[in-house]
Amino acid sequence: MEYENVAGHIYDIQGYAVHDGPGIRTTVYTKGCPLRCLWCHSPESQYHEFELSYLPVKCLGTDLCRDACINACPEGAISREEPVQALDGSGMIQKAKIDREKCTVCLKCTEACITKALYPSAWNTTVDEVYNRLDKDRGFFKNGGGVTISGGEAMDQFAFTYNLAKRLKDSGLHICLDTTGCAATELYEKILPYIDLFLYDIKHMDTVMHKKLVGVGNELVLTNARFLAEHGASLQIRVPVIPKLTDKEDNLRQTAEFCASLGEAVKLVQLLPYHKTGKMKYDRLGWRYPLSNVEPPAEAFMLKTLEMFQSYGLNCQLY
Amino acid sequence: MATTTKFDIPISERIQGLKAKRERINKDLRLNIERNRIITEYYRTHENEYPVMKRAGFLHKWCTTRAINIDDDDIFLGDAGPHTRSVHFDIEQTAHSWFKGCFDDTDERFRAAWQVPGSIWVSDAEREELLHLADYWVGKDIGATGRGLMPPDYFERFPPGMDITQLTGSYPGHFCPGYEKAAMVGFGAVRQQAIEKLEEIVKHTTADNVRSELFYRAIIKTCDGMIQMSKRYAEGCREKAKTEENPERRAELLRMADSCDWIIENPARTLWEGLQVILFYQNLITADGTHWADSPALIDSFLGPLAENDIKNGDLTEAQAQELFDAFLLQIGNQIIMFPKPNNDMLIEAHKNGKTMFDLQGGMQNIAAGMLITLGGQKTDGSGDYTIATEMMLLAYSRLRVAEPSLALRINKHTPERIWELGIHCSKRCGGLPQFNNDDVIIPGQMSRGVSLEDARRYGVFGCVEPGISGMEWSLAANCGAFGGGAGFLGLMNFCIHGNVDPMTGAQGRLPCKKLYEYETFEELQAEFERQIKHSLDFSARMNQFAALIFDTAWPVLSASIMMDGCMESGKDVTWGGAKYTGHGSMISAIGTIGDSLTVIKKLCFDDKTVTTRELYDALVANWEGYELLRQRILNEVPFYGNDMDEADDLVVWFTNLYADHYNSRPAPHNGTLNAGGLDLYWVGQGKRTWATPDGRRTGDTVSPASDPRQDAIKNGPLSYVKSVAKMPWVKFRFGGAINIRLDANSVRSEESTAKVRELIESYFTQGGIQFCFTVADTEVMRAAQKNPQEYQDLIVRIAGFSAYFTHLPVETQDDYILKYEIGV
Repeated sequence: MEYENVAGHIYDIQGYAVHDGPGIRTTVYTKGCPLRCLWCHSPESQYHEFELSYLPVKCLGTDLCRDACINACPEGAISREEPVQALDGSGMIQKAKIDREKCTVCLKCTEACITKALYPSAWNTTVDEVYNRLDKDRGFFKNGGGVTISGGEAMDQFAFTYNLAKRLKDSGLHICLDTTGCAATELYEKILPYIDLFLYDIKHMDTVMHKKLVGVGNELVLTNARFLAEHGASLQIRVPVIPKLTDKEDNLRQTAEFCASLGEAVKLVQLLPYHKTGKMKYDRLGWRYPLSNVEPPAEAFMLKTLEMFQSYGLNCQLY
Repeated sequence: MATTTKFDIPISERIQGLKAKRERINKDLRLNIERNRIITEYYRTHENEYPVMKRAGFLHKWCTTRAINIDDDDIFLGDAGPHTRSVHFDIEQTAHSWFKGCFDDTDERFRAAWQVPGSIWVSDAEREELLHLADYWVGKDIGATGRGLMPPDYFERFPPGMDITQLTGSYPGHFCPGYEKAAMVGFGAVRQQAIEKLEEIVKHTTADNVRSELFYRAIIKTCDGMIQMSKRYAEGCREKAKTEENPERRAELLRMADSCDWIIENPARTLWEGLQVILFYQNLITADGTHWADSPALIDSFLGPLAENDIKNGDLTEAQAQELFDAFLLQIGNQIIMFPKPNNDMLIEAHKNGKTMFDLQGGMQNIAAGMLITLGGQKTDGSGDYTIATEMMLLAYSRLRVAEPSLALRINKHTPERIWELGIHCSKRCGGLPQFNNDDVIIPGQMSRGVSLEDARRYGVFGCVEPGISGMEWSLAANCGAFGGGAGFLGLMNFCIHGNVDPMTGAQGRLPCKKLYEYETFEELQAEFERQIKHSLDFSARMNQFAALIFDTAWPVLSASIMMDGCMESGKDVTWGGAKYTGHGSMISAIGTIGDSLTVIKKLCFDDKTVTTRELYDALVANWEGYELLRQRILNEVPFYGNDMDEADDLVVWFTNLYADHYNSRPAPHNGTLNAGGLDLYWVGQGKRTWATPDGRRTGDTVSPASDPRQDAIKNGPLSYVKSVAKMPWVKFRFGGAINIRLDANSVRSEESTAKVRELIESYFTQGGIQFCFTVADTEVMRAAQKNPQEYQDLIVRIAGFSAYFTHLPVETQDDYILKYEIGV
């Protein structure tokens, strides 16, 4: 089996990822993405550089560790919070407080933190290491399940993703690639033989709106979708339904028309209603949540949209 | 968004009425005094009768004199006592251990406990009668028989004041009665067989068969009683029909009367009759008493053809058949056995907090007499055994959303697609009911103890997760706790750490040993743990022989023997070893806590040598006070069971094998087998009694439930979780084992999610898992239910071995349950 043991950086591996393709799947999440979607629910996936994540609920007070993180920080960016009651009722504690302006993300504090309240948002790994972890779940993949490589944008770490996909595919697993479509067409051409199913996002049909919502235009997305459809790929199109942003009827109709125009390559269209569960991840990074005034769409609206997609002869489902 | 599916078919108005009635009665329960009055009077006036004849005499008396209770809206007949949902208890079991405390208390405290809304109502006159009845049993109850025969080493370990649960470890019983024989052969044929056997013995009475003569006479008497009871219900229906104005109901009552005249004596002809026999027979088993968790298994096997036949003949529509299953489910759930025994402090406190007696009972156990219904499976030839009754029972549970009786669904390669779908749908709606049981592990497990392949295919599950051969096996669930098979293992580990002392109480163990800092190697500590485990299991096996002798001596269980394969042939009661198979089970608990603790010692003290055994010992003695940094290191750095990391799982595999191999090979009463199991119901309570453990657990904190990993140790999600658990030697766990996993509400929302849950179960089973159970509940929903329990009355969650109404659980168990799943399993 020919592959290179390339290095990569990932921020999670999740078993029983039931929304990421057919059957039972384990998904590996690579870090780094060319898009900046307003509704992004994995903010730690956006940049290639690691962030400092902080989960204050796990901090048991800096008395306990004798200011481990404060002493470890070369920038003086960590100090003591105002005293609060400890969760276990043992008394008042002062948790770590991070000055994000001063923090240079050297991550020295994450090595010192004993409760892992402070931790890096991702880790460095290799194709072999990830393969060995995924291989443990092989027993669950018998009926059409397998591995999904997701992001960020997995194509942004192409050498890693390509070699991982190749190694997994050669070992007999079913591989999905979850992609925004924002990568060079020749890279898709190269990886195509190793991907059984592309989970492919169509976020908006109007390129101006697309740029406004996710930071880049949609030309490459649509071109690559057509390319893949014409070159024998299987596509599962995912359409985020974000109230006020992507839920206008003409946009959704054009999306459905586009999906239909790709022909038999499209096996399934998934309508993904906006949800807010990503918000707490922004808090951990100390970032502002960009969509504070958007609520999840009503069920009735989702059902109506579902019918509309189905009326184009598309195999379509919610979630 | 709770998606409605093709299985969400509304229940009929009549069934809604019956369900509402049951909820009304839950707030106004009555004790079953009648049964205890009849047995006390009979035993008082027949003291010299031989035990098995005395039992038969009582059962006959009960059948022929008990009140016949038929409510206006009843579709089925029969309760344990004179009222619907009468709360049953056995006065001869533990005459005084809880009785005096409750009823001999001051008037004021008695009334505050028993005569307030929400309690089990006991009038002043009933109170006086109960005390009077209990007086008779002083020195004559089952506990007294036990005290008369247990050996000195028992009393060294368990001081006086013990009751039956300590004498036997748990209630006897725990078996799958011969319902198929009761319904499809009938008591008339059994009676005839007993007469023939008797005639043989009379011709040639020997030392070997003289006791059997008494047994057959007892069987004939019990059969007579049962046949009469059914005819008395027939009479009751006719009486009621006389004054019934609604012509449809009048006709229905007359049909019921005709059927009651026929059934019990003769084989059931229709679905209604088959279901009614199960209920009458269950009434007899409950009245016979002294046992618990007598579980109907494989009933769909014979109910299916009856239903098919009724539908084919045009006697029933499918909707009417479904209504019968719905009504049956509600009716069989009316069998309530008091468990645990209350005390007035507990009751008064509960009433103050607005809790009912029903809450107290249901929060501890499956209140429907610990019953579990097993559906599906295989015929003796190995083909699948799934019928229209399997489907209709699953539909009844999912539509009615009731937590009792508990429910199991057998899984094998023949399980139809629709049964899979229904089972998973039902489990989503009905908090972990059914559990899924793996034929491919359980059948070889049963065969490993000498059960034939054909019989092993007819296993059922009783109690929580325990397999037994339906209608062929008697079981004494002998040591769920007291003999060291159960709660003992964690205690034994602490003995190994603290030099044979329980730091919680200062009590000494049986085998002097070193303290943690005195072991030179990890292997030395392992060897000590092994020595302690084997010694404890040997004691347990020895006491099992005596526990069985208690019942063999004076407390036969005719209601079990009467339909049990082997008893009629051998002329022996089940308690004399008459059943075709006899099994005695044991359960270990806190598997995760023990395994993780061993891993911590091995990794930190012996492999990595980053902590000395002395330092860890001191930290434990101090209950981690002053050692929080070390505790945090352990919690955050050591790999724990449940994450598919061999380093942690290997030690769990090591000691569970050790346990099962040793226990399964010990001699069992009546030449039956001892069977290892893995389950407990009391991880909160056990945690309270257990000193700090090396896995970072503080004194008093909960221990890991059932065979599950520790609540907060799951870091790699459901696949790694079940893969870890699958490494345990489940085939050797012939007495079963449980895992519970909560699936995030998001992960079961879509239509395809059912197929994915099925795949998860199938992959787990292929990897060797024995049983699977899942609950879908949002943490947010559970939190809301804590705040507004009235609005969440039918929220059902799966506890270690049974499903319970969430709002009935004690608050600390609720909190523990929420915590367990907040960490993202």
